[in-house]
Amino acid sequence: MIRITGGKVYDPANGIDGEVKDICIDDNGRIVESIDGGRTIDATGMIVFPGGVDVHTHVAGGAINFARAMTPEDHRRTQAFIRTKTRRSGLGGMAPTTFATGYLYAGMGFTTVNEAAVPVLSARHTHEELADIPIVDKASLTLMANNEIMLDQMQAGEYERAKNVVAWYIWAAKSYGVKAVNPGGVAAWKWGEDAKQLTSPIEGYSNLTPGKIVTQLAQICDDLKLPHPMHLHCNNLGAPGNVSTTIDTLKHLEGHRAHIAHSQYHAYGGDDWDSICSQTGQLAEYFNTHPHITTDAGAVLFGDTVTITADGPWQHLLYKLTGRKWGNLDVENETGCGIVPYTYRPSNLVNAVQWASGLELLLLIKNPWQVFLSTDHPNGGCFWRYPEIIKLLMCADFRKECLEQLPDKIKGKILLPEIDREYTLYEIATSMSAGPAKALGLTKKGSLGVGCDADVVIYEEDPTDIARTFAHPRYVLKAGEVVIEEGDIREAPDGQEFLVKPHMAADTDEFMQPRFEDCYTMQFENYPVELERIERKDLQELPAE
Amino acid sequence: MGGKVTCTLGEVKQRADFIVYWGGNPAECHPRHFTKYTIMQKSRFLPRGRKDRTMVLVDIRETKSAKAADTFLQVKPGKDFELITILRAMIKDQRVTDAQIEDTGMTREVLDKLVDQMKNCKFGCMFFGMGLSMTRGKHMNSAALLTLAAELNAFTKFVAMPMRGHGNVTGADVIMRWQTGYPFGITFNRGYPRYNPGEFSTVDVLVRGDCDAAFIIGADPGATMPQPAIDHLKRIPTICLDPHITHTSKLARVHITTAPQGIAAPGTAYRMDELPLPLKPALKSPYPTDEEVVRRINEELQKKPFWMPEGAPLTMTAHG
Ligand SMILES: [Zn+2]
Repeated sequence: MIRITGGKVYDPANGIDGEVKDICIDDNGRIVESIDGGRTIDATGMIVFPGGVDVHTHVAGGAINFARAMTPEDHRRTQAFIRTKTRRSGLGGMAPTTFATGYLYAGMGFTTVNEAAVPVLSARHTHEELADIPIVDKASLTLMANNEIMLDQMQAGEYERAKNVVAWYIWAAKSYGVKAVNPGGVAAWKWGEDAKQLTSPIEGYSNLTPGKIVTQLAQICDDLKLPHPMHLHCNNLGAPGNVSTTIDTLKHLEGHRAHIAHSQYHAYGGDDWDSICSQTGQLAEYFNTHPHITTDAGAVLFGDTVTITADGPWQHLLYKLTGRKWGNLDVENETGCGIVPYTYRPSNLVNAVQWASGLELLLLIKNPWQVFLSTDHPNGGCFWRYPEIIKLLMCADFRKECLEQLPDKIKGKILLPEIDREYTLYEIATSMSAGPAKALGLTKKGSLGVGCDADVVIYEEDPTDIARTFAHPRYVLKAGEVVIEEGDIREAPDGQEFLVKPHMAADTDEFMQPRFEDCYTMQFENYPVELERIERKDLQELPAE
Repeated sequence: MGGKVTCTLGEVKQRADFIVYWGGNPAECHPRHFTKYTIMQKSRFLPRGRKDRTMVLVDIRETKSAKAADTFLQVKPGKDFELITILRAMIKDQRVTDAQIEDTGMTREVLDKLVDQMKNCKFGCMFFGMGLSMTRGKHMNSAALLTLAAELNAFTKFVAMPMRGHGNVTGADVIMRWQTGYPFGITFNRGYPRYNPGEFSTVDVLVRGDCDAAFIIGADPGATMPQPAIDHLKRIPTICLDPHITHTSKLARVHITTAPQGIAAPGTAYRMDELPLPLKPALKSPYPTDEEVVRRINEELQKKPFWMPEGAPLTMTAHG
């Protein structure tokens, strides 16, 4: 039992904005009304947040592990974690190792992460890595929008079948929901093509368009009653002028729930790399008038990183632009992924537009319950740099200083210089915890209400540097256990995984088997991840319609 | 430059109409490769199977695999890197002299045809075997081939993939990467992972006599390593986990018999394309699994005082 006393509490899920109040935690790691006895943590003068929730990150599985293999030169200059009695060794950096990933997230007060892209075929691998990420709780999303068995059903107009196929895959992967990446475009990439127009049929299909896939998949996620709506990486990522594709996509989603991943990469105007400019105004306005749709920023920070995405065609373009290393992995029937090391430079006009656009979206979308902190780790920057973004959001003066590094020709291409808004602590707590938890449908996360998981962060405000405050919490509690104290990792308990079991028609296995055997190289019965393999799980069975 | 452009084997099965085996002998080393994944398979995109696919074999000698190939190209020993470099130039229409071509054992006519096939296929795949990755030039050769595959994507879809040896080598590589950031050749002697293949690889450590104990699992270095390494294994306490009696188990001070993986012990094996496959045991073994032995040793170790003194630094900047 623990009582946190004297701290200023920021708990947007319960409308608490800086009120001094006690937080009580019972022996089951839950927040309760009151306790009798136990340890008291004096948080007088400090601020208390619910544990951070990362709605979109890439921390486990074939793609990030491919990135680790491609960046040994980065491992050498990075932060090393030395083995202790309670802690395994590891390396930080652009693509941190699994143990280090848990320590780094917890070390900045994040206690839940969503691995946003899992090919079902290698889901077993992803779960093995997730099990090796300590402290934080985890959810994972299955890549679906280019699955050929599903696309065939959509093409044939068999909506119910397509829905059962999606449910079957979610359960086979033991995942929490659906991720859609460049619908139709990754399938087309297998022939070296892409899908850029929402209304043109995709390569290899007669009448199926990216637009139809988007609408139907969103409907499927709604009908399956998934706690998290379709998580969509729109078509045409990263390209000048792509804001029109993004808005067009959003129009295809009218009437559905949806989460739009890393909007920054989808908010550009212009016709080419010279004329590229920010069009975040238009996109933010759409969000401001459509409160049922959420997004994460996918903000970019200047410096080195490695980009990984299931968007193979985009990665090939990036490779051609940079001439640096390129990794690509196409996964049979399902999806693909690409990996390219990258350095964002303030002197580079495109990078400068990207940097400004991410911040603009966070500042122009008025409701922090709709737009969440993310860098699409590691694509826009590494997750352990989130405190830098918080500082940029909270200090307009600091933003002005940073703007001075940008090239002169940026004038007129971005909106950031005209924006004065500064986030409050309450808004930060919404954007990095309460909001993403709600969007993920994780009812016990992102809230300090009675009955919720006691994932609590206590920061000591450093008035000279807000980034320091958020980079080094004084205490982090995970399920009621003090994991970080005085800046040190005290305990590294294992987190749990969130899974859903969607309802599907009884004959779905029979329907899947022949189609599966047609295109996979693995035995049908070996394909689904066995439930026993996931040691610590929170399984939710979803009702039929 | 560098990197790797690849896919899972199912993609090859479904789509590859042009397949190159370079420095490998699948007919004898991976007997099911042709029938399960590559040239013999029919698919929705290649309904006539073998007839819809073209296969080229590049090797220094004519192995049994040559019979299965449409074209066999005999490269002069030690000239793989040169040949790959010539192909990289030729696909970009850069000038290459006849003398340079002949030096690799090829003719211009043969290479013109190969380049033409590479650029004009719909989906090309190159498999490279030990013959390429373990000979002179080693990883330079594989890196050059991976780059060639990446560059071919300017013209068509092209991927490349290593043909790994047996045992769960790929699995060890995958797990070491997620836990330490590196695939092999790792030392933990400063408390965190450091990587240097020519220095920290098992064989180097043993030959130098740097380690004072050895723990061997799923391998038989006693059969394959150079004599000085074997001599050192005999000198130090060597512990070997193996279901069978092996060269290593015979020289080891302790041999713990374990249940055979996949037959009597569950787990995951990673295929050469890094896909994880579950191992579902059909038999029960009276012996413990490797995992159980390691876990029990670990539990005993936990009871000993921690190796690092109290108050030592917890994080630091890594140096290669
Ligand atoms: Zn992403």
